[in-house]
Amino acid sequence: MAIMNIREAINRTLHAEMERDSNIIVLGEDVVGGAGTAGGQEAIGGIWGTTGGLYAKFGAGRVIDTPISESAIIGAAAGAALAGKRPVAELMFADFIGVSLDQLWNQMAKFRYMFGGKTKCPAVVRMIYGAGMNAAAQHSQSVYALLTAMPGLKVVLPATPADAKGLLTEALRGDDPVMFMEHKTLYGVKGEVPDGEYRQRFGEARVVREGGDVTIVACGRMVGFAEKTCDKLAAEGIGADLLDLRTTSPLDEEAILDSVEETGRLVIVDESPPRCSLAADIAAIVASKAFTSLKAPPAMVTGPHSPIPYARELERAWVPSPQKIEDAVRHVLAFR
Amino acid sequence: MATLKAFTMPKWGIEMSEGTISEWMVGENEPFTKGAVLTLVETDKITNEIEAEAAGRFVRILAEAGGTYPVGALLAVLSDGEAAAADIDAFVANFKQADTSFEPDAGAADAKAPPAAAPPPPAAPEIPAGIAISPVALTRAAAAGVDVATIKGSGPGGRITAQDIDQVVRPVASNTLAGPYPLSPDTDVFASPMAKRLSVLHDVPLAGISGTGARGRVRKADVLAQIQPVAPQATVVAPPVSGVTVNAMSSMRRTIARRLTESKATIPHFYIRRRVRADRLLALRAAVQGQRPSVNDYLIRACALALMEVPQVNIQVHGNDIHRFESADIAVAVATEKGLVTPIVTRADERSIVDISAAMQALAQRAKAGKLKPEEFTGGSFSLSNLGGFGVEQFDAIINPPQGAILAVGTARPEPIDDDGAIRIVPVLHLSLSCDHRAIDGADGGRFMAALANLIERPELL
Repeated sequence: MAIMNIREAINRTLHAEMERDSNIIVLGEDVVGGAGTAGGQEAIGGIWGTTGGLYAKFGAGRVIDTPISESAIIGAAAGAALAGKRPVAELMFADFIGVSLDQLWNQMAKFRYMFGGKTKCPAVVRMIYGAGMNAAAQHSQSVYALLTAMPGLKVVLPATPADAKGLLTEALRGDDPVMFMEHKTLYGVKGEVPDGEYRQRFGEARVVREGGDVTIVACGRMVGFAEKTCDKLAAEGIGADLLDLRTTSPLDEEAILDSVEETGRLVIVDESPPRCSLAADIAAIVASKAFTSLKAPPAMVTGPHSPIPYARELERAWVPSPQKIEDAVRHVLAFR
Repeated sequence: MATLKAFTMPKWGIEMSEGTISEWMVGENEPFTKGAVLTLVETDKITNEIEAEAAGRFVRILAEAGGTYPVGALLAVLSDGEAAAADIDAFVANFKQADTSFEPDAGAADAKAPPAAAPPPPAAPEIPAGIAISPVALTRAAAAGVDVATIKGSGPGGRITAQDIDQVVRPVASNTLAGPYPLSPDTDVFASPMAKRLSVLHDVPLAGISGTGARGRVRKADVLAQIQPVAPQATVVAPPVSGVTVNAMSSMRRTIARRLTESKATIPHFYIRRRVRADRLLALRAAVQGQRPSVNDYLIRACALALMEVPQVNIQVHGNDIHRFESADIAVAVATEKGLVTPIVTRADERSIVDISAAMQALAQRAKAGKLKPEEFTGGSFSLSNLGGFGVEQFDAIINPPQGAILAVGTARPEPIDDDGAIRIVPVLHLSLSCDHRAIDGADGGRFMAALANLIERPELL
């Protein structure tokens, strides 16, 4: 086990996988770093630093700086995947999937299905999402609910360095398009990462805390927030099952339902507006399949139905916080 | 024999639902070649020709020129040659129109009887001015005598909903908290979280269970199927009596109940009792400077050494197998608010009293906070339960399966003993050993108690 942060875990996994499989290519805006500047190409790996050193090691044939065009990046990745490559495309900001939606939604997600399983599209799209860095309404959104709603795509949201390695490796070994969502505030999160080959299956929620009084479902940055809430409540004897979904498609419905059947109370934490959200989806699943186990209505801790504000104070108020999660837990516990 | 095919009203575009035959360009039994114009069809939008896709003839024309037919309707019967009239009749009779509609699976819905006329709704109560409230909520509030003006609504725009009224009317929920559980140990087996938790709780190893979940995942039900079902007993549910509070058992309580019931019902217990003088042990303890280990800590050490002398008692029973342990891992009963837990002092035979005392303090603290790790309370080769702190003189304990024996210890009370011919009054401990007779015989138990008594009476050996 080595201690590293999520950025390093992703970077090292890319290095290791590209060494293992010469079909893996990386493309995206500024994935080399410094291209076109006076200083020349630096292989610092873009503004997030996740692709650092790849250009120096694997060269321009496998590490490709692209124009600022999400449709071109995703379209190229989809085509390369059809032609036998394993592209890792990077969207610097997930908010811009809009301009590449046809490539994602109508092409990548549909190829295997529409060609009767005779072709596959092993593309990984790494996209950086999430609020909390004062990046305003167009650079802060969590688009996983949109992507989760598209059959044919797998949607992955690592919250720990170990999961970043395990899930990215799994994504690169599979034959289907994977949306690999990286929360921009989590890159510095440190943790133990297993050495050597390490794969984490999709559709298997991580149990972060266990307890018998309430089920808390979270993903991405919200897992850490919910952990704080759990530890505070544990001191009062309130036990929570905290599930980190890891992947929203496939969804570990079983883990959620099993837990709710025991606790009877559900709090879902989702860093997005509430309507048609992941939280709404899970609330609906639980209400339809575990209705008789529920002792209180499922509580959703989400942002409001508004764009994410730029002002720091407003952004903080927008994002679900440990305090709001605690309030929701107390609400469902006190429900009569 | 000629092959008959249906010539039907085509569907040109998503919206087209019917078409009108303007004119037939060929007659019945008049041969035509591929590409010949057969008929003109008029829709809401266009008039278009239908060309022959292959050479052939119409052996029967069913649609009249000028008639309007739905998409998919049989207009004529195509054939590659002459056909018998009976065959054509049979073809027409058996023709089934293809479903070209966009209705989601109509099917049985058509067969549904029209709903019975609903009774007229009751007159809606008048909604008080200035208060947003649903009519049902208002009716419920009136029935329960609730003043709606004092309620904060949770509906859109603060509207009061029926649920808000229910919340006011119902008594506050009194929750018995189950509290935090220790994290289930990490395992490589592909299993759901609940399956993992149950495997620890019920001591069922996950490896070897074939999962029935998606992609072979081990599910809750798969683990439960491994647990020996306890025959259901007819339980008499007493009617609630005033002055009695009914609390559902916590899952921890249920586990204690299940395990102990199983133990008492399936393990043939026998008991060996013995008095031992404790004066020397207590004197030794009193002489310790600084932080003194508890009497129980000395007893843990004494049990461990006695188990080394009589290894027949240092065992676990698994079905027809007896697992004999090389070290003494002693489970010590600790009372917590939520019930009994038995954290384990591992390798107590190799550890000093001071070491055991420190380990025990840490374990008890974690047990009380509900923070024991599973490996800290699963396993163990022997149990120790001490109720001396409550003034209990003597009691018998139930074996903690799969262990083979448990020692029950009471308080040290002054009693007369025969001390080399003289009668002396010294503190005496009453010990009771419960053994699983499937694996431990009376002689083994007797030897163990003799070794234990010797160690307690000569504490310098500890």
